[in-house]
Amino acid sequence: MQKSGISSKEKLFKSLVAEHQEMVINTCYRFVFNREDAEDLAQDVFVEVFRSFEQFREEAKISTWIYRIAVTKSLDHLRRVKRKKRFGSLKRIIGAGDPSEDIAAPILDNPAEACTENERAAILFDALNTLPENQKTAFLLSKHEGYSNQEIADIMKTSVSAVESLVHRAKKNLHSKLYEYYKEH
Amino acid sequence: MIFLKTQAIEAPVVTCEKGKTYMKKSNENIESEISKTMELLDDMLPLKVYPLFRVRLMQKIELLPLQRKGYLDLRFALVSLLVIINFSFAFFLSPRNNERQETAAAIREVTENQSDDYTNQEFAYYDQTP
Repeated sequence: MQKSGISSKEKLFKSLVAEHQEMVINTCYRFVFNREDAEDLAQDVFVEVFRSFEQFREEAKISTWIYRIAVTKSLDHLRRVKRKKRFGSLKRIIGAGDPSEDIAAPILDNPAEACTENERAAILFDALNTLPENQKTAFLLSKHEGYSNQEIADIMKTSVSAVESLVHRAKKNLHSKLYEYYKEH
Repeated sequence: MIFLKTQAIEAPVVTCEKGKTYMKKSNENIESEISKTMELLDDMLPLKVYPLFRVRLMQKIELLPLQRKGYLDLRFALVSLLVIINFSFAFFLSPRNNERQETAAAIREVTENQSDDYTNQEFAYYDQTP
């Protein structure tokens, strides 16, 4: 009985993974700009889904719940990277830094893409990371074709008008950050 | 005097206009750079999922209960160790039975001596005098 319960849970889980894996990986990819990190994060998302499957209450759609976990994990990852970066620069100041950390990870997946594209992506990534988390989330999800404003509102547990306002503010802030950057460089 | 004044006014206007043209061009460049950068998000091709992704994930899921069990075992072992250390310290630090008896006897002796000191003959004199 218990075994059949476990197998039915696994079956359901497998179907969930099959249905949502692409969306989850691409959502994470929009946040981290790196395929490997996005895949690792997506793995963590599904492990979390499997673990807390019993805790899911059908207040929201299961897809919304999964994408919310994906957003949370991605934001956590970015926070960790930021912290690491800060610590790394501190280590460099005191001369204890690891020189291998300075080697930039490939930002775009396609190696044939021009160097300027990579640089541009790095600039965009940095500018995005200066935005407040709710603006960044709303903006990045709005750029993803798979999400409607209603879905974004459900993921962020807010209203559609709030999402629209967040996206508008994010665009404005991003524009001014990029303007400042290109004015100086 | 007027000529000089006119010249003095005219010169910066030209410079300003030149500056304006330059600024306008620069702004255009900046705007085009910004729009190119922003377009990156629109042009991002969706990632295709490698088949190994699910294999890796299912391996992780299979290991999950074992990891949890191992974690619980470790916690239980740690708690047991702490309890054992606690009890053994309590056992070694507390006075043993015969030591306790010796202490009790010593206390009794001291109290008896004290009571003797105050009930002996020398003190009886003070008790009897009115």
